[in-house]
Amino acid sequence: MVNEKIDISDEIIGFQEEILNIQTAIAEFESGHNLNVAIISEPYAGRTTLLNEIEKMNLHKIIRFSFSSIVKNKDEIILPYQSKRIVLIDDCQFLFMRKIGGFEVLEHFLNSTAAPDKMFITTWNFYSWKYLDEVMKIGKFFPVQINLPKFTAGQIKDSILSGYKKEEIEFVEDVEFEKERIINFKKYPVAIKPWNKKINLPYIRIDYSGLKFRLSKKEKRATIEDIIFEKIHNVSNGNPGVAKIIWLRSLKYPIIKPSRIKDESLNIELDYNESFVLNIILSMKSIKNEEISEITGLDFEVDKIIFQLSKQGLILTGDCSCTIKPEALKGIIEFLKKLRMVW
Amino acid sequence: MPDNTITLPVIDTGVIISLILVILIAYLFIRVITFTLVFISERVGHHRITVKMVLPLLKFSIYGFAIYYILIYIVKWESSQLVLFGGLFGAAIGFGLKDLFADIIGGIVITIEKPYQVGDKIKMGNYYGEVSDIGIRSTKLVTPDDNLVSAPNYLIFTQAVASANAGTSEMMIVIDMFIDSCSDPVLAMKILTESVMTSKYVYVSRNRPFTILLKDFPFYRRLRAKAYVNDLRYEFEFESDVTRRTWKEFSGNGIEAPNINILEAGTINQTNAS
Repeated sequence: MVNEKIDISDEIIGFQEEILNIQTAIAEFESGHNLNVAIISEPYAGRTTLLNEIEKMNLHKIIRFSFSSIVKNKDEIILPYQSKRIVLIDDCQFLFMRKIGGFEVLEHFLNSTAAPDKMFITTWNFYSWKYLDEVMKIGKFFPVQINLPKFTAGQIKDSILSGYKKEEIEFVEDVEFEKERIINFKKYPVAIKPWNKKINLPYIRIDYSGLKFRLSKKEKRATIEDIIFEKIHNVSNGNPGVAKIIWLRSLKYPIIKPSRIKDESLNIELDYNESFVLNIILSMKSIKNEEISEITGLDFEVDKIIFQLSKQGLILTGDCSCTIKPEALKGIIEFLKKLRMVW
Repeated sequence: MPDNTITLPVIDTGVIISLILVILIAYLFIRVITFTLVFISERVGHHRITVKMVLPLLKFSIYGFAIYYILIYIVKWESSQLVLFGGLFGAAIGFGLKDLFADIIGGIVITIEKPYQVGDKIKMGNYYGEVSDIGIRSTKLVTPDDNLVSAPNYLIFTQAVASANAGTSEMMIVIDMFIDSCSDPVLAMKILTESVMTSKYVYVSRNRPFTILLKDFPFYRRLRAKAYVNDLRYEFEFESDVTRRTWKEFSGNGIEAPNINILEAGTINQTNAS
């Protein structure tokens, strides 16, 4: 066991325990036990931030690599890391393609992680990791697995406000938010096949953050600042990256009001192939159109599907690539879980 | 002398109307509940079988309550009258209603014992399909050809029923591929493995692993994939997806289908049969 005291910077918010675990693994490696590390999280959940911190703390021992697109040739991962013994690799989900013959690069990489004189600290998209762990048992190659936790409302608040001076932001309680109803009647479109018509069935939707606000206001506990971050926390599902994007979208500098934070519940309607493409994009976070075609084969038209996904506000397109839209992440995961495409 | 005569209650027009009304309300109530639960279940993805599971139990409870209400509060029978009714009912069963009664008892057994549930894929007698409804008298199956088959509930006592998924939405599928004896079996197994694990329909977990098996026959080799489809409704799509992509890859890697000589075909059929 390593008993050295490990210093952790206070600058980073929310990952203290994870950093401690990684630093312990590094110390163990230096004393002769090789423990490869896998850092696993949803898109936008802060993997790269954590990796930056690890790199900063071990600057002279570490060499770092990142993949930004799918690696198709195993020669591309003959890494020039001979001089340093600890290797940081970001976005390892780019080492495979979900198709026949798409695992060679990954297999080659996994074999090279078994080298006793090197330690690999890797980051993975949660959905790619889960898939690969079920079908290839890649977890065996990484004895230390760190699943990044979801942030609490308080952590989201600290993380976002760390970028501003004290009292720089004005939190304004607005009438519009007060007027927002706790129980809303929404309409769900249902297709009636025999008549080829659509009817809207009413259903009840409860605004939990509004309800919390009313209750806490009665008890005179929560400030408007707390309410705003509670709402951001609910909408982002505790994902710090998504929370930051929602914050930036809702902020009209220097004023932020609760009514500006919108929970855009998605009514996703996709067929199976469209859902599968969405699953591929989610597993990679960002992927080129041609790579989607390669994975799915030529049996269905990728351009049409990408257009459909973009139209429903699920992905962002540009530069011949697709990226998961951060605000839609929560809805996408729920939808794909229902279909059992993500496990 | 004690008076042993049993007076039957008076069944007038009012009683008949009330009786019809109660049955009608029970029927409509069941229809509404069935529609609502089916509607909800189709929107909760792979949990749909769990939601549909309560349907037969609700149906039997509602009908049971309706009968109880009719006997006690509308017809107002006493115990002696119920005994008489039981005797008459027994005679009716003996005369020709025994099949109907066996169906109802079968329905109750299915509800309590759950050999299969609404949403399961089952093989019952000569029929195979997804259970769309378990009623008082019969179980309705939708076959792969989209035929609606009504199988009487009493079959549960006389026939073995095979449920392919037993209440879960995933289901094991067995896919056989046959290759020529001269083809590379290791490469073929690798291709089939990757074809299964990359299929858009596959479901893999620690309790639901997939297996690829190889068996040698005199004139060919059989590759068998056993894997779970994520939703039993995609059973045939999964099989087709794996087969299509595997053969595409086989042909690019020199793996061929068995070269059957007409004279040898009979031998192979015999081997298959054994």
